[in-house]
Amino acid sequence: MDMNEESSEARKLKCGDTSKCFELLESILDGEVDNSKEMLKEKLAKCQPCFEHFHLEQAIRDVLKNKCTKQAVPNELADSIRRQIQEIK
Amino acid sequence: MSEVQRRKYSQEEKNGIFDGEFMPHIDSMYNFAYRLTFDEDDAKDLVQDTYLKAYRFINSFEKGTNAKAWLFRILKNSFINEYRRKSKQPAKVDYQEVETYYNSDDVDYQSTSDMRADSVKDMLGDEISNALNSLAVDFRTVIILCDLEGFTYEEMSKILDIPIGTVRSRLHRARNLLKEKLQGYAKNMGYNTDEEE
Repeated sequence: MDMNEESSEARKLKCGDTSKCFELLESILDGEVDNSKEMLKEKLAKCQPCFEHFHLEQAIRDVLKNKCTKQAVPNELADSIRRQIQEIK
Repeated sequence: MSEVQRRKYSQEEKNGIFDGEFMPHIDSMYNFAYRLTFDEDDAKDLVQDTYLKAYRFINSFEKGTNAKAWLFRILKNSFINEYRRKSKQPAKVDYQEVETYYNSDDVDYQSTSDMRADSVKDMLGDEISNALNSLAVDFRTVIILCDLEGFTYEEMSKILDIPIGTVRSRLHRARNLLKEKLQGYAKNMGYNTDEEE
């Protein structure tokens, strides 16, 4: 979702209700709001704090996904589980 | 494990479910367990216990439904009931942090408003990982489930036994806390924040 091309000229500098708006933006990023595309586009075009929050949240999600590397699973773990299952069968 | 055991799988079916639906999630399960316990041996034990319980209660699992969420719920409950108790650090510190943030409405974004998307993008994996790991377990858990494992709010609600509204607000608080931690790293590392301009 690239919203970077929106002009910042028309955006208001203060958000009327950051708590409510930011929580909504987070829900949108989490894919929990249906048909959010138009609403999001309008919100980001009109409100600078919402615009910045959206991009910050998006960046944090990206780094969490890409940089919080998965812990390597010990090789013997799956075998050990299967062995124990065999014992209780 | 409160589900009524309403079916009885044959041995062959049990093996099929276990190998086909449960074992493919072992990587995510171990990663979750490690991020809860911070200890390789504890994480291994926790995952092993979870799979043994899953097998023992396999008749309460409906074939073809969300095995990953079902397994995560067992793992989370095992962690709370067994591993958290024997943890060296008392859990009450976590709850204090939770209480403080749940009871204050005015903490939102005041201290994180100068955090920038670009400074987050420049951060290293270790910094992000350390920031996540430093969160109280209840907050850490919702971020892991949502952002690392991609569970929906509804799935998280079932895994954690809390209403969807609580999932949403806990995530919101967790993200604010994470941003605070990240901002601390950003300042220490000399990354760009508005305060420095």
